[in-house]
Order: sequence, then C-alpha cells, then structure tokens
Amino acid sequence: MEFTPKPNTALLIVGHGSTENPDSSTPYFDHAREIRRRNVFGEVHCCFWKEEPSMREALYMIDADEVYVVPDFISEGYFTQDVIPRELGLTGPTTQVHGKTVHYCDPVGIHPSMTSLILQRTDEVAPGVPQEESTLFIVGHGTGLNKNSTKAIKDQVDHIKTLPNCRFADVIDTYMEEPPFIADWGKLAKTPNAVVVPFFIADGLHSYQDIPVMLGFEKEEGLAASQKEVFRRNPYHLQGKTLYYSAAIGTEPMMADVILDQISTFDAQHVAH
Amino acid sequence: MSLTKVLSDALESGINQIGQLRILRDPLRLHHIDDRDLDSLELHTDPDDAREIGLYTPDGGYRFTKGELSLKTGWIFELGSVEDLRRTIDLFYPASLGLWNAWKNDQIQIQNLRDKLNRQTGMYRHARNISDEGAQELVRCLCGPSNKCVKKILWKIDDENPLEDSEASRFNGLVGDVDESTAIPMVCQEACNFFVAQARKKSKEEFEAKDQ
Repeated sequence: MEFTPKPNTALLIVGHGSTENPDSSTPYFDHAREIRRRNVFGEVHCCFWKEEPSMREALYMIDADEVYVVPDFISEGYFTQDVIPRELGLTGPTTQVHGKTVHYCDPVGIHPSMTSLILQRTDEVAPGVPQEESTLFIVGHGTGLNKNSTKAIKDQVDHIKTLPNCRFADVIDTYMEEPPFIADWGKLAKTPNAVVVPFFIADGLHSYQDIPVMLGFEKEEGLAASQKEVFRRNPYHLQGKTLYYSAAIGTEPMMADVILDQISTFDAQHVAH
Repeated sequence: MSLTKVLSDALESGINQIGQLRILRDPLRLHHIDDRDLDSLELHTDPDDAREIGLYTPDGGYRFTKGELSLKTGWIFELGSVEDLRRTIDLFYPASLGLWNAWKNDQIQIQNLRDKLNRQTGMYRHARNISDEGAQELVRCLCGPSNKCVKKILWKIDDENPLEDSEASRFNGLVGDVDESTAIPMVCQEACNFFVAQARKKSKEEFEAKDQ
C-alpha cells in the first residue's frame, strides 16, 4: 500500500515495554527508526506502558498539532481498548487532547498485511522446505480472560488457508495457555515438517524460553533466556519430525509497513479527504 | 515554538547540562558529566545509539527507569544539528525536554499520586489502597538522588496532602552542584510505573499486616 507522506504530523508508536527485559522495547524503536528513515512523518516517537516515556509524558515530546497513535500490539484487548485510551485521554477514533488532534488506529496485529509478513517469515526460516509436506503453526499466548486475544491469530490462520499461493498442508492456531496447545504440536502435525511462528511483537521469555520448552528442544533451566540462540539452530529433529522455529513476528523489519498500512486504513475509514 | 527551537534558545542562553549529560557547542557534542578526557571517549554520531548506551548500568543492570543516576560513562556524541541533539537527549531522558518546557511555561498537567493510583486497573488496581503514610514512605525510599532518581517531583499525594519534607521531595532535578541557570531540571509530572508497582506491593503488605 502506497503511503502518502504527512510531513506536518507526528506518529506515536505505543508498546508494552518491560521493567525486566531490556530487549522488550527494541522492536518498537526499530520500527520507529525505519519509519523515520523513510521521512514520511514530521516526527516519530515511541511510548510505553511499562517504560519511559509513559503515554502521558509522550504528548509533551510532540511538536505537531496532529498525531497518529498506533498500538504496536498484536491483538485487540485490555491494552488497546482500556489502557491506551485512558492514558492518552482518547474518546473515539479522533480526539482533541490538549490542543492536539489525536487519531487512534487499530493495533498492528489485526491488519490484513500481517499475513504477508508471516509467509515471508516462513520462507526465511525454512527455505526450500516443501510446504506441501509442512504444517504451519502460529503461536499466541491465549488466555481465558479475553476472547479477543486469540481472534487475531484465528483470523490470520483462516486468511492464510484461503490464499491461492499457500501450499502448507495445514495451518493451525496454537496457544501457550489454552487449547489447542503448542505443546501438542507433534500430535497436531500430520506432516514430516513443522514451521512455528510466535505471534508476539517482541522476543522475550515466551519466544526465547517458554515456547521452546513446550516444543521440546529447550530445558526449563540453563542459560539466561536472551543468550539462547533458539532461532539460529534450525532445524530441530523431534518426535520423528523436522521443526523450524522463527523469532517473534513483531521483530520483522517489515512491521514498519504494517504500521503505515494501519494508518492508511484509518484514513480510508475515518478521515475525509 | 518547537522543542528544537526551545533547546536552541536554551543553549544560546548558556544551558549546558541535563541530568548526567553535558552539552558542548561548536561543534555540538554530548557526553557524560563525569568524563573529562574527551579524546579517549567512544565517538557516536547517530542519535539512535543513545538508547543502547542508556539501556544498561555500568555493571550491566537494566536501566528501565531512565531518570536513574546510573548512566554509564565513556562515550561522546558529535551531532550535526540541534534537532539531532534533541532526539539524543530524548533517548537518554525520554520526554525530559518537553516536560521541562511545559513546566516552565506553566502548561504541565501534574497528576497527583491518588489520581494516578485511582485510574489503575487490572493487576495494579489494588495500588490505590496504599495509606498516605505508606505512600510518603515510598517517596522517601524510591525517589530522589539517594535512591538514584534525578527528577524533581512535581506531584503531591493529593490536593490536600503535599509530600513530607525529605531529600527526595526537596530535590531540584539538577545533578551535582550546578548553577540553576546553566542546567535543565528533570521533572517528574506523575509517579512512574515502577512507583505504582511498589505501591501495589506496599498496599498488599499493609493489608496483610492489618489482617494479623
């Protein structure tokens, strides 16, 4: 999707952040850097729930009178529907906040263009592996608390299955904390190969440690999570199958395109031209 | 007025420090206030490098609170413009320039602690149950330079309850013995999320103590 530059407008990327994992906010800064490099916004900033700048502080960093807020989150849910609007004082798609016009876009994870990212990632992680003999697993967190948390992944799976260029024998949504469990991948995959893509923004304990333990190629104890080169030791031979494991989808540099796509979609839906 | 212009005017007026950062002009450079031999420092020209430098303490700990008095030494930025300087400072001390500018122009929206705690939801909603005494104690234990935070606290417990007198509540947001006319103070407009997390813990301790 071609993006029309907005030289007098600011982009504010909102991420979760962490007080424990310094890698957690890296993808957001990477996405901001890439969009800044393209020179399509007057300003590009990041803000966080758990790190600085906070959402409330972030508005003080911005000169522009018009701001697009894009939640760099994987699904709709508590943060995108409750926390971010509350912290930024947003009451709808467009809100006046302290003299600024603030547009609130949907989270990146639910944009249809995430699909091409997933497929690109599978090509990178399992090059030359015949898709007809492979099962693609997309892994999310899953929680009984919020049905929306799995919707983004289910939508992706449904979409990928309908694509004419998708030759995977099967595409399955799996979760860490609700069925179908990723830990059961060996039973779920009817093919000799499995490709596993974690549907998270950042690499952290889930993608470095928890999911590898559930897949069966990592022990619960050992090196500090970030020192395990779990993404670089492909393929893994487990349960009579060959498994290819990808880094979190949000670490993909093309996420910058998804952020811009989400803004174009917002404009198409809400902003009169 | 843009923040870049505000910073440019501040430099013209003799400002040369913010937090643990020393700003030099002609050419525009930025280094740690404790570094003296500038020729020995690792040279950076990309503002984005500031995030990586500010991410860890000298002994490798994670600096998730950026106002922490633990910025490592040994680096220097040579920057091509005040715009780049602004971005570099914002990566070391996020939003510090904007908050300072809003504060000095009386345009800052200060959030008292009770406002901040009362709007917490999810796992942090219990933080609001902390007593005033407990909150005052947390300020003494978590804020101010003794506890490694270099921000000047602007908030109170609530409109009727100012912070009790302490090193933390008195701190002016300037690191070291500097002339106020040459340094930009770091200001704290609302309690940080680390404070909220500790308030939740403290509130739980108070509840359990009452139960016994």
